[in-house]
Amino acid sequence: MRIPLGLLALASLLLSCCYPVLALDLKGRIRWNEVCPGIGDLGQAKVVLDNGKLRGGVTRDGSFVIPDVPAGTYVLSVAAHDHVFDQLRVDVFETETLPEVRPYIPGTPLSPAAVVTLPYPIVLAPRQRNDYFVPRQSFNLLAMFQNPMMLLMLGMGGLVVAMPYLMKNMDPAMLQDFQKRQARIGSLQSSLQSGDLSGGLSALMDTGEEEKPAPKQTTPAGIKHRSGKGKKR
Amino acid sequence: MRLLSVLITICCLTQSWALHSSEAGIVDWHKPLVGVPLYSTLSTAPAFHRISEADGRTHSVVLTATASNVLAALDPVDGTIAWRHIFEANEHVIAYKQHGNVVATVSGSGGATLRLLDATTGHLLVERCFHKLEAGRLFEPETLGTALAFDNEENGDTYVLSNAHILRRTNAKTGEVVWGWSAPDQASLVAYSRLIATSSTVYVVGLAKSFTSYTLHVSAVSAKTGEFITSIDVPSSITNGLTDFFVLASNKHPQVKPRIMWLEGGAIKSFPLTPELKETPMMIKGAEYHKIVDVGLSEHGQFVAIKEDGAGRVIRLGEDGVKVIWEFAESATSKQYTESIYSGGLDKDGWPYIARVYWSHISKKASAHILAAHLADGKGLVTGFTLPFQTSDHGVITHVAVDIANPEEFKVLARLFLTTSTGAVQLWQQNELQWSREEGLAEIKVAELVELPEKQVVTAHAGEDEPVGERLVRQLSDARDFPQYALNFARRFVTGSYASVSSSVAPSANASEPLARDEFGFRKVIIAVTARSKIYGIDSANGEVLWSRVFGLGWAAEVGGHIIPVKIFVTRTVNDGGAPEVVLVTQRKASNSLVDTVIFHVNPLTGEDVRDPTSPRDGLLQGLDVIAGPLVETYMLQLGPSNVVVLLDEFVQVHLYPNTDEIRDAFVKALPSIYLPLRTGPPKHRQLTGHQISPKPEFTGKHVAQPTWTLSLPPSEDILAIIPRPREPIASLGKVLGNRTTLYKYLNPHLSAVVAGSSVSCSLYLIDSAKGTVLYHVVLPSTDGACDIKVVLAENWLVYQYYDGDMGGVDQAKGYRIVSVELYEGSGVDDKTRSSDLSSLSNKSTAITTFEETFVLPRAISTIVSTATTHGITMKDIIVASENHQIQSFPRRFLDPRRPKRKPTNEELEEWLIQYDPILPDDPKRVLSHTYQVVGTKHIVTSPALLESTSLVFAYGQDLFFTRVAPSNTFDVLSEDFNKAQLVLTIAGLALAIVIAKPIVRRKRLREKWYDQ
Repeated sequence: MRIPLGLLALASLLLSCCYPVLALDLKGRIRWNEVCPGIGDLGQAKVVLDNGKLRGGVTRDGSFVIPDVPAGTYVLSVAAHDHVFDQLRVDVFETETLPEVRPYIPGTPLSPAAVVTLPYPIVLAPRQRNDYFVPRQSFNLLAMFQNPMMLLMLGMGGLVVAMPYLMKNMDPAMLQDFQKRQARIGSLQSSLQSGDLSGGLSALMDTGEEEKPAPKQTTPAGIKHRSGKGKKR
Repeated sequence: MRLLSVLITICCLTQSWALHSSEAGIVDWHKPLVGVPLYSTLSTAPAFHRISEADGRTHSVVLTATASNVLAALDPVDGTIAWRHIFEANEHVIAYKQHGNVVATVSGSGGATLRLLDATTGHLLVERCFHKLEAGRLFEPETLGTALAFDNEENGDTYVLSNAHILRRTNAKTGEVVWGWSAPDQASLVAYSRLIATSSTVYVVGLAKSFTSYTLHVSAVSAKTGEFITSIDVPSSITNGLTDFFVLASNKHPQVKPRIMWLEGGAIKSFPLTPELKETPMMIKGAEYHKIVDVGLSEHGQFVAIKEDGAGRVIRLGEDGVKVIWEFAESATSKQYTESIYSGGLDKDGWPYIARVYWSHISKKASAHILAAHLADGKGLVTGFTLPFQTSDHGVITHVAVDIANPEEFKVLARLFLTTSTGAVQLWQQNELQWSREEGLAEIKVAELVELPEKQVVTAHAGEDEPVGERLVRQLSDARDFPQYALNFARRFVTGSYASVSSSVAPSANASEPLARDEFGFRKVIIAVTARSKIYGIDSANGEVLWSRVFGLGWAAEVGGHIIPVKIFVTRTVNDGGAPEVVLVTQRKASNSLVDTVIFHVNPLTGEDVRDPTSPRDGLLQGLDVIAGPLVETYMLQLGPSNVVVLLDEFVQVHLYPNTDEIRDAFVKALPSIYLPLRTGPPKHRQLTGHQISPKPEFTGKHVAQPTWTLSLPPSEDILAIIPRPREPIASLGKVLGNRTTLYKYLNPHLSAVVAGSSVSCSLYLIDSAKGTVLYHVVLPSTDGACDIKVVLAENWLVYQYYDGDMGGVDQAKGYRIVSVELYEGSGVDDKTRSSDLSSLSNKSTAITTFEETFVLPRAISTIVSTATTHGITMKDIIVASENHQIQSFPRRFLDPRRPKRKPTNEELEEWLIQYDPILPDDPKRVLSHTYQVVGTKHIVTSPALLESTSLVFAYGQDLFFTRVAPSNTFDVLSEDFNKAQLVLTIAGLALAIVIAKPIVRRKRLREKWYDQ
């Protein structure tokens, strides 16, 4: 015996009586596309205004109705688990029977409103399907060789192989010049490796004046190549 | 240099931690739940529903509305969820009714919205709002004043009674309202609550309040046009307006007029319904009745009446009127068995059956008797069986739904769908349990993750003086596995199949070994306590329930009551040696309105009672009444090696658990450093008062907390939440900037966040709870008069979220905002006050510098939490549960309040700061729950794994979801993408090249020496 049947809120009664004049049922439709071909793909989804107090569910044919929307400016968004939708700005007026619908980019100020208006009833299309996973990086020969570092390395390798042939075809004068430069760098490197920085630097400095010993240093390498080749023949 | 830092930044941003599709379901698990069925009224209680397919075959689903505000269909074959429709939190599901392939449901106060769902898939077919939620009448219970009926004759249109006085007919295809009829008195005199539709007329039956009881009132409305035909007051006097009347019809005999049945002064009366309402009430003679029970067969012309002595009689409406057709044998009230539960079910051909289920105290089993009234040439046939129901695991049976198969004339096979008091649902086929779902887990109130002990390597053998022969045998048998081991070792060495961070840590199926952790500490045991008096130990590797215990009520067992979990503490971990222990603090509300504070002390690995290890594991878990009265505050205090639970009663007296002399002495020593902020004052005007505990016990032998400071909030503000800074390890005390200066983190151990709100605005305070100083204060807009601010406090970092619906601001944009605030010591860089060790009496403890920045959150969230790792070296991410049923993480880097609003300089790039962008990127790769729909998350618990890089995440509320995250990538293990085969091959190739090239080179050298000079 504890049913307060008489607990009938007078205020809510009054509200229910005199409300329907100002409010509007906002209607729209989700256009199924290849991203989302139907309700089975979309699952239970809702279309919400602002913080979700005004909302409508998406039915099997894609339509939705947000009932009793009072006049004001709203941001309309779709809460779906796997799909991304655009947000819209909806203006509902007290005097007009049709709302104005505009595109809205999240995070931007609502005013000034976008110039473009969209047709009403609202048509929303799923933009994309969420992809939650990253592909596993597997060992791929082609991808490896597409890597710029790998390409550089290949080029270097190619040069190393091709160098003797290039040198052989070079003009002797140029070759000597080249070998000189090579030797200088080589000596710098070797002195750097042995930790004798000043020695290396002085070698670099000195080479400009003492041209004579430099070719002597480099000759073995040159001769080696040629002799090697000569022997083979 | 600049280019390099840009490159590094880009690399770090793009190479964020994300899930591979192969890891889904391996590193995480998801247990979808529907919630505990709402069995108290027939319109929401579980029922079997048979759906005919196009090819003539049928399949069944169990439909139920649940306490988690879900309408669900379960597959009776295997207990999986066929579908579930989730209702918004402010829109409770009130009633559902099935008809063919459609389920109609009404939700929202007063029956605001009608939805039609496809019974097979759960897809929404029609949604129709009748009135605004706030225009709905509030009834007690909520289901009163709302009723649903289908039009049987035509295309299955729906009749909906809402707000106890408005009847509408809605089109089944479009949801358009065909007609509506509103009672002229607007429910001020008559509250309608029952509805029955015939092909020509719709009858609404309600109660009018008379002097001491209720009087029946019936209105007849034309089904075609909605035209009001007539209405009368039926001379009657009903005492219980909820249960003591209903409308009975017989769809096997359409020519029989439906009748209102009611109980009046121990007699059952009936009133035939004709469009003119000209009949007179009749009385069923024969016995005195105690109550009448609608068993869900009111449209099939049967119900149960309970006699004064408790015996159940089945009454049927047939061509020959209303008659008693059966009395269940031995159903009278007895000490040997409990009160019977009656439930109606149908078979394939639509014949009604009535099941009676009771628990026998003697055989300790449940029994079911099924009455088939139409069998045995209409004389009635009863078949029975017993169910070995586990009452120690599942409490008592609270509701039964039944489904019948009648393959042969005298063979009746029953399927029973049981709902138990602990929230389990079970399906029994005759006496065999088919499946069981722990839906009570949808109502977890507190949960904690407990570390498991290391695997024990068994090396025991018989001791020193072992004979040679035996020893040889033993060693040989030990060595038996060596070849396999060697093979495994070689394989492991070559292929690199070591323990992987992205593999499952679940034990193998046949393993019966004791609980042990894995290499990385990903496997823990989740201790979860539900609102339905049950504690569970859940394996975090796969979500299986390891053990569960039902709470005993102590002295309140005689009067009844329930246990409300308050907090759970892990008082001993495996690192402290010995078995871990948890202490659960609860409040017990006895049915006689007495409240006690009860402590349960269990071993989280086994569920054993620590206080009484000898108590049987399959019995009730009994608690210890520590306070004979309600609890004000409780927390865990570390006193030397042991943890103590400190409880404060309503007189702010201190109770300790465990309460030994050493602990009391240690507690007195620790007293000067204990500061307690407590909520005081009447509800709606609660203020925050700091307390310290008196060093000398009062005459009661208890220490008493005494107020030291009061936070003077505006009088309209009420304190909604206090969020203390969690105690967690902190790896670095400062942040080194690009210009080699340091910002020292503000790490005051007494820092707390306080959310307070009035009807117009909300406030967030950061206070020093030792002396009540406000360190940071912000006023936030309230949404519709409520403060819905989500706050997380970690280290020196405060993050809060709110909805900004204000169009008048500078940015003029509505949306969800998330604000990130960082607190640093002193007045700027290189100003060090040692806030973590500083005495709270020092003036310097309140000198802080804050950095804050606001971001736009893509959608509403229901909870927010930060990750936790073992040493706190790993960056902290923010994890949220969002409104579209996802668990998503937002990286700290994006939420850094020091993000510059221009192009970052070189120094800022060195700190990896990126340019400020108000929008937080909504990256689906950071959705931890990926394809799972994690519904109804209310809390998320994060817990460290052994691996520093990884944090475990457990979300609960309705669905359970568990995963692990690595906010700074798994820097402490080799990447999963690391190709060991490639490395081994390369090394092998190089070795081979050396082997081949070495003799060639040697020969060449030798030749050069001979020939070249």
